[in-house]
Amino acid sequence: MRRYLPALLLLLGTCGLPAASAYDGPLIEPPVLAQRVDSGELAPLRERIPGVPKIVELAGEKTPGEYGGELRLLMGKQKDIRQVVIYSYARLVCFDTDFELVPDLLQSYEVRDNRIFTLHLRPGHKWSDGHPFTSEDFRFYWEDDATNPELSPGGPESPLVVDGELPRVEYPDLYTVRYSWSKPNPYFLPALAGARPLYIYKPAHYLRQFHARYQSAEKLQQMIDAEKRRNWMGVYVNKDRPYKATNPDLPTLEPWINTTEPPAERFIFARNPYYHRIDQNGRQLPYIDSIAVNIASSKLVPAKTGAGESDLQARYLRMDNYTFLKTAAKRSDFDVRLWQTSKGAHMALYPDLNTQDPVYRDLLRDVRFRRALSLAINRHEINQVVFFGLVEESNNTVLREGPLFLPKYQSKWTEFNLKRANRLLDELGLDKRDDRGIRLMADGRPLEILVQTAGESTERTDVLELIHDSWLDAGIMLYTVPSTREVFRNRIFSGEAVMSIWSGLENGIPNADTSPAELAPTSKYQYQWPQWGSWYETRGQSGEPPTLPAARELVELNDRWAAAGSYQERRKIWQRMLEINLEQMFTIGIVNHVPHPVVVNNHLHNVPQKGFYDISPGAYFGIYKPDTFWFDEARR
Amino acid sequence: MAAYILRRILTMIPTLLIISALVFVIIQLPPGDYLESHIAELQAQGESIDEKKIQFLREEYGLDKPMVQQYWVWLTGMLHGDFGYSFEYDLPVTEVVGDRLFLTILISTTTILFTWAVAFPIGIYSATHQYSWGDYGLSTLGFLGLATPNFLLALVMLYLANVHFGTSIGGLMDAEYIDAPWSFDKLVSVLEHLWIPVIVIGTSGTAGMIRRLRANLLDELQKQYVTTGRAKGLPPGKLLRKYPLRIALNFFVADIGNLLPTVISGAEIVAVVMSLPTTGPLLLSALQSQDMYLAGSFLMFLALLTVSGVLVSDILLALLDPRIRLGGSQAR
Repeated sequence: MRRYLPALLLLLGTCGLPAASAYDGPLIEPPVLAQRVDSGELAPLRERIPGVPKIVELAGEKTPGEYGGELRLLMGKQKDIRQVVIYSYARLVCFDTDFELVPDLLQSYEVRDNRIFTLHLRPGHKWSDGHPFTSEDFRFYWEDDATNPELSPGGPESPLVVDGELPRVEYPDLYTVRYSWSKPNPYFLPALAGARPLYIYKPAHYLRQFHARYQSAEKLQQMIDAEKRRNWMGVYVNKDRPYKATNPDLPTLEPWINTTEPPAERFIFARNPYYHRIDQNGRQLPYIDSIAVNIASSKLVPAKTGAGESDLQARYLRMDNYTFLKTAAKRSDFDVRLWQTSKGAHMALYPDLNTQDPVYRDLLRDVRFRRALSLAINRHEINQVVFFGLVEESNNTVLREGPLFLPKYQSKWTEFNLKRANRLLDELGLDKRDDRGIRLMADGRPLEILVQTAGESTERTDVLELIHDSWLDAGIMLYTVPSTREVFRNRIFSGEAVMSIWSGLENGIPNADTSPAELAPTSKYQYQWPQWGSWYETRGQSGEPPTLPAARELVELNDRWAAAGSYQERRKIWQRMLEINLEQMFTIGIVNHVPHPVVVNNHLHNVPQKGFYDISPGAYFGIYKPDTFWFDEARR
Repeated sequence: MAAYILRRILTMIPTLLIISALVFVIIQLPPGDYLESHIAELQAQGESIDEKKIQFLREEYGLDKPMVQQYWVWLTGMLHGDFGYSFEYDLPVTEVVGDRLFLTILISTTTILFTWAVAFPIGIYSATHQYSWGDYGLSTLGFLGLATPNFLLALVMLYLANVHFGTSIGGLMDAEYIDAPWSFDKLVSVLEHLWIPVIVIGTSGTAGMIRRLRANLLDELQKQYVTTGRAKGLPPGKLLRKYPLRIALNFFVADIGNLLPTVISGAEIVAVVMSLPTTGPLLLSALQSQDMYLAGSFLMFLALLTVSGVLVSDILLALLDPRIRLGGSQAR
């Protein structure tokens, strides 16, 4: 409950006397819209924003700005325009820079026992086409989309389903929506705040025309034929793509709206005249009038960025572009900043506990073996050789920037100690060696580990080469098996893989309210136990049940976390799960805290010097509010 | 002749059918389908995946049907001009390819003209001045062009053009003209960018053409009728144009069959490296992501062009060179 206290306080402040607290301060019309307002095509700013807009106080490192300019971005594919939706990050609730949840599109919300969620909309809030945003949009989503058997044959999205139970959804008035479950649902709010959010609202006034319940069969048939779809669901789904931003006609609540119909090589996003955020001086956000997304081959993005063709670029830049970008910075008038990635590990080895080969499987399931593997990795050397000594040697675990960190999580079992590793391996009965010095397994085969890699970056193969050298001193032969991403995954799912290398925990800075599912066998995409994960995911229809006691305990803890009543209790469960993962070394993290270059045009203000660059939980630039970025005179 | 042409056209039908089956099967050979590579990509970027939505899409795209059925739908669709649906772009294939085709043809035609303009005079010069300094010098240059990897040349030229002329890197025009209506400024911008891919793609073709023209011409120049013509007092220029050059051109006509598909597909690798808005990168990414209808329809289009190009060049050759007509009827 402690977590939601600020929200409750805000609620008391706003809901008690809504009329009194309506915004009556100054408002400054964006010049780019002035003409449309003068001609009467657009209502004045005061009528466009909600009665209670979200006021963003810009202070400290951030300064209030001026209207104008065009932000140029480079993307590798047409599909990448969804990045603008991620960067925009207008959500019902969103994470602030301390990764706490705060209301955003919502004026406020209340939570009871983590079961009953009452959401209060902002009266007067409008879609980008000027139509009011009300609880009707939530009703449309729930009744006509999420629970429509044709549109959603599998039922609503998983964060809305608790142990198979659907929520009761009520709409007491135009501006209130209530979701209630009989058991706690800790996944609900974080899903709403996701970089790829759970959209529990839809522009009903627009989408109705594509929906079988509201549109005549004849008209629908015309649309199906015109768009070469198989049925009306195809038409509807294609029109309703708030995340992909491919439909310029779809009303949105984001700061910028896509105005370009695909296919195209350049997409223009224009400002949303009805956006709900303003700054302390009465300027409506976003400051920047438009975003131009240019599509270029992803391999050319660093070069183009170096030539000054992007104003804000981090995507498709890598650490090894850093020196080139630094050299180009002066010529092209930009600044290169080093942000940090928040993954639990930049790369980690995943011993596949479900591998088919019984001899390898028995070995990998022995914790001593996994610990020995970790101790036989010279992380310091990897840091110096591959990462210029700029990263931290660590397990795959939470980072010190988050509230759950303990020093031992990072460093236990990560020292380079061949003696200890060799002793552990000898203890396991692997004391016989062949003439190359490679240990022999129980059935007489040499201990050769094939590590699968998706072959996307040479960085991973470089690191594997270094691990190969130190493992050899422990009598273990490592072979690298590069393949394409699809083949890589299929080898893991089929149990052919013995070990693989991939990035670590998606969210390395969780708090106790963040789901700990990544730490337990809950998904088949967890490469250390794909079969156990699949078992959990499909409720026993495929995969196999976890057999290791530690893995079973993790599953139990994960379930207990979901039902836990208090923050303290959730915190305890988190610590226990981290502890188990640490002692068991289910994944063998190598390094984390890898810097990520971010190129910022010198005329672009309010982009922080330091930040986290990751999709989860930060939505890349999203939590730093790109709608508050502004250009100085030279670029307006 | 008419019967010959008709027969050739009829044999095109089974050829294309076999190609279509091969194309469809080979695109589907890698494990998984479009949705699986899509999930893999989303996951690699840390985005959430909803299995329920994926299942819906699988049915919507018809990926749950057996392969034979998918093939049949695609094949019959193509006969009606419906080339299927691109999953990656969420659009019908024709719309995806549409815009790019024009720019591809522009680049390819310019490149071919460039190749001819450079290779022809050099080829003739090297043949008529065999083993001279000029022959050696130009051949070396040509081989250098052939031996330098195109993509490397592309990167070097992109960099130099950007640093010295301020040309934006990659693409065919400055960003502000993309998707803008045609204007004089846009044309200038296109020309500023066009010369780099033309030279890069052209260099390798030029070398090959120089050598072939030189070799063919040298064969002819040794022949008796040339000596006879020269003995009878024909001026050297006229002698060259009227007799050996014409015969040496056979290879050139035979090449038209290969030319048509390259005009459409462009040079894929260079186009990817230089981020050209042509069809090459489109085809490549479609194959990678198993966007099978986009890739398949595109490959079928190329196959059709190749087959008809071969037909055209065969007919032209028959018209041009009586010996070929004769040889053909004897074999029959």
